[in-house]
Amino acid sequence: MATGTGTGASSAGLARATPGGSVERGAEPPFEEKLRLFNEVTQDLRFPDYLYGCYECGICVAVCPSARFYDFSPRRIAQAVAREDVELVYEQMNRDVWECSQCFSCLRCPRQNNPGGIVTIMREVAVKNGLHSAKEALEGYSRIIYKIMSTGTQVSPDMIRPDAFPDWGPTAKETADNLEVWRRAMPPETMHTTSSSWEVDDKTLTELYLIWHLTGVLDMIKTLDESLHMILVDVMEEKLEEAGYPLGG
Amino acid sequence: MPIPINIPVKGPAAAPSRKGEFRRSPDDAPEDLRAMALELEAKGEWIVQRVPEPYVEVQTKYGKAKKIPLQHTWHHKSCGQCGHIPGYSTSIFWLHRKLGLEYNDPRDQTSCTAWNYYASATSNSAAQAAVAMRNFAAAYETGYFPQIHCATSYGHYKEVRSELIHHKELRDQVRDVLKKMGKPLVIPEEIVHYSEWVYAVRHEIAKRQVLDLRNITATVHPACHYYKLVSEDAIYDPDVYGGQRTAIVTGVAEALGAKVADYSTWFDCCGFGFRHILVQRDFTRSFAVQRKIEVMRDEANPDVTLTHDTGCVTTLDKSQFAAQAHKGVTAAIPVLSEAQFAALAMGAHPYRVCQLHWHSADYHPLLEKMGIDWRERWREFEDDLERLKKNPGAVMTWDDADAASVPPNPEHLAHGGR
Amino acid sequence: MPGENILIIGGGPAGLEAARGVADLGYKAILVEKRDRLGGTPDSANYAALTHGMRDASEVMAEIVAAVSGNPLVDIRLNATVTESSGAAGDFRVTLQENGGPATVEAGAIIVATGFDHFDPGRATQAYGYYEYDDVITLTDAEAMLKEKKFVKPSNGQAPDRVCFIQCVGSRDRQLGNEYCSKVCCGIASKQAIEIRQLLPQCKVFIFYIDMRMYGYWENEIYWPAQEKYKVQYIRGVISEIVKKGDRLMIRGEDTTMNRPMEVAMDIVILSVGMEPSKGTKEIARILGLAQNKYGFIDPAHGSLDTVSTSVEGVFVAGAAAGPKDLDDTMGMAGAAAMKAAALVRRKSKAPSPLSSPPVGERVG
Repeated sequence: MATGTGTGASSAGLARATPGGSVERGAEPPFEEKLRLFNEVTQDLRFPDYLYGCYECGICVAVCPSARFYDFSPRRIAQAVAREDVELVYEQMNRDVWECSQCFSCLRCPRQNNPGGIVTIMREVAVKNGLHSAKEALEGYSRIIYKIMSTGTQVSPDMIRPDAFPDWGPTAKETADNLEVWRRAMPPETMHTTSSSWEVDDKTLTELYLIWHLTGVLDMIKTLDESLHMILVDVMEEKLEEAGYPLGG
Repeated sequence: MPIPINIPVKGPAAAPSRKGEFRRSPDDAPEDLRAMALELEAKGEWIVQRVPEPYVEVQTKYGKAKKIPLQHTWHHKSCGQCGHIPGYSTSIFWLHRKLGLEYNDPRDQTSCTAWNYYASATSNSAAQAAVAMRNFAAAYETGYFPQIHCATSYGHYKEVRSELIHHKELRDQVRDVLKKMGKPLVIPEEIVHYSEWVYAVRHEIAKRQVLDLRNITATVHPACHYYKLVSEDAIYDPDVYGGQRTAIVTGVAEALGAKVADYSTWFDCCGFGFRHILVQRDFTRSFAVQRKIEVMRDEANPDVTLTHDTGCVTTLDKSQFAAQAHKGVTAAIPVLSEAQFAALAMGAHPYRVCQLHWHSADYHPLLEKMGIDWRERWREFEDDLERLKKNPGAVMTWDDADAASVPPNPEHLAHGGR
Repeated sequence: MPGENILIIGGGPAGLEAARGVADLGYKAILVEKRDRLGGTPDSANYAALTHGMRDASEVMAEIVAAVSGNPLVDIRLNATVTESSGAAGDFRVTLQENGGPATVEAGAIIVATGFDHFDPGRATQAYGYYEYDDVITLTDAEAMLKEKKFVKPSNGQAPDRVCFIQCVGSRDRQLGNEYCSKVCCGIASKQAIEIRQLLPQCKVFIFYIDMRMYGYWENEIYWPAQEKYKVQYIRGVISEIVKKGDRLMIRGEDTTMNRPMEVAMDIVILSVGMEPSKGTKEIARILGLAQNKYGFIDPAHGSLDTVSTSVEGVFVAGAAAGPKDLDDTMGMAGAAAMKAAALVRRKSKAPSPLSSPPVGERVG
């Protein structure tokens, strides 16, 4: 595999560094930076359970849905990390990992590797470090992060809109048009909602916000999307303070 | 034109096989996470919430028993089900009510957030574990036992359990987070998926069945996150697929008298992809249609495909429209959860309870074949909608849903509806 | 003298060769076999030809059996199993369950030769449908057909056009807890592939493998001829799934050399099942208190320099009871076990050797 091509993006003219020092399209970080990212992957506490060794039997590729549609191979993911190929892992973190379906069919690996799990960790590192690929892969995704982090439920009824789901046929429009009354026309008491999947107590939400704060998830969002981070902090801070949770730093 | 495949779904085969019968041995099972959870409890690390009685013991992959509580369950709802295919959740609740099994539908519950995690990785193992353990603690505080509606939540929580058991530093970190909100660290004795409950009560459902389903052919899509993540925890039955595949859903369809037909891509995922279904649906649509729907149609020509997870129902149902429009294909395969299918079999209203109007793939021919007068049921439901429109703030109640509007079709009863 | 008897448990190649060795050294062997005939797995599993050398299995086994049958120093107990044991090196008392009821034998040393079982493909990590499809068979099923010189699809009795082997079924698999290589399956699959090509020259034969492990002369005697003379196709990549399509089997996998997924039709799929300790091996280890490794095979106490002594003094092991073994290893171990057992009883009995030459030097023990 050729190295030094970064994301494979041809638009080198767009190269620039963001204030946080993260990498924008086309900018090729020095080897030491790639090594740092590589080490972050292999030092994750789950990593020892996710990669033992690989004897290239191809089982993971045979059962992989993404391998059928993309130039994606769970075997190459496992091999690249196992060989400590820092350049290739960086390249994969910038493209391949976003093609994985996270179905975990590859858990059939006879060596008990978990290539899908390695991808999860690689994605986390890509997001945490604001790699351009993460931003690109998650384009159009901010509203979903906002929804899950602020309401505690990920896909709300009001997200079904014909412009968002034109490929879902006339049902999407019909649902959107009748949303309010359709939601009332179902018997479970918790489900007469439109902006969240069910009614979530305020106290419950506050506890969720506390988790985002205490486990560093808000910091990840900041690296990924500053304006989303600002909105989320706005939503959360008031509730957390009301509940008397000291936020500290 | 692919050749139809013919795998004996129900085993052991009628003629005794020269190979004999296969039986798994508990000795072959990997480490026992449930036992390890109890050991940690003995050391004072956390509380193990016990399965309340009465429970049904079902068999898992290596022949070990798993306790499935019948009632007093805390319903860990699914955001995708409640949000986009709400008849899924409603049917699960309705089945509990019809079987007289009490439950708790909590507001003190968040999503597992795993859909987002597998889609965007904008989280980490500590946050994911804390979200899981917050929900488990909330259930524990009510005294009700978690029944998890979504297979991704179920699979993810099993992963979280394994990570917490194996990594003390993670346990300590999550215990601290929960302590700040005044909650104890609690793990349920069993991680239970709703489909395991449906499987456990399948014969009770069959006893109350009002529709004859013997002329219905179903294909089954087992959900990846149900049996591929921590596979030893999934239900296997030596009498279904010879114990070589999970018996979930298939066991239910068979108990209801439907014919389960096999197809060659049963192991493939549905194409959901977590991220793909939201922002890269070309992959999702292609995979769902080419690797699942079209293969099912060519090899099994089912009346319905049944599955047991949020993502699978969504993907298989919603992906068919574009392909149909593109290729001019008109025949769809309706997609239902086995909970919806079972509820219909027990006489549930297709709109008030099963909320089929949220589904995209045409389900009307299926209802007709099942003996359900969907035009009349839709007319009733439209009346409900009119009434609700006139009364802002009014909602449909369980009593409304059960209003005697679904007289069993006498013709179907004549076929020996059980 | 009972203390000079040597009890040998298992009447397969290892037990038979050990019995012959013990008798040749002038000691009495008591050979216990649970089946009603000698010959062990090569006989019970209908082996056709043995690797390496490709000699007819029945012929070879008949030779080995003949070497002990009628030998006055070999007391053969068929239909007998060991149920209990007491005593120590030089003075074991072992209870047998025989047709007529329990019996007690006394022995100064014991040689365990209880062998292996073939892996049950129902437990395979991949979806091979062994119990679902008639035409998915194992190496042993194939061997039985090859012995009859009639290789056909079990489902309809017709000759196959395409046959494949899947290697490492039940071996080299952490999910199953069988991390070890079973050593012989690569050679046996290649041998069978040649035999199939000899019987059915029109039939294409494929072997799907991770690594081909063809030690020593297996390379030139089997692997190269299979590729060069018999045009057996070796494809790197293991099959993940078998489904039936019409009356053929469709297999899925990745060709990892060519980097491409495969979905191809086969008439017969042969699963190259590996070795696991036999039930008898696990049971005898329990009765005699022998250390076993994590897989249940009996652990040699001193590693490579002494492959036959176990954790219990006076108890020795030979053949596949101690881990996957080919026939060459098995026969070598059986000889070594006979020699060490004889030396032990000789020391323990403090009696002059029944052999003519006197012992040399200080005796130990």
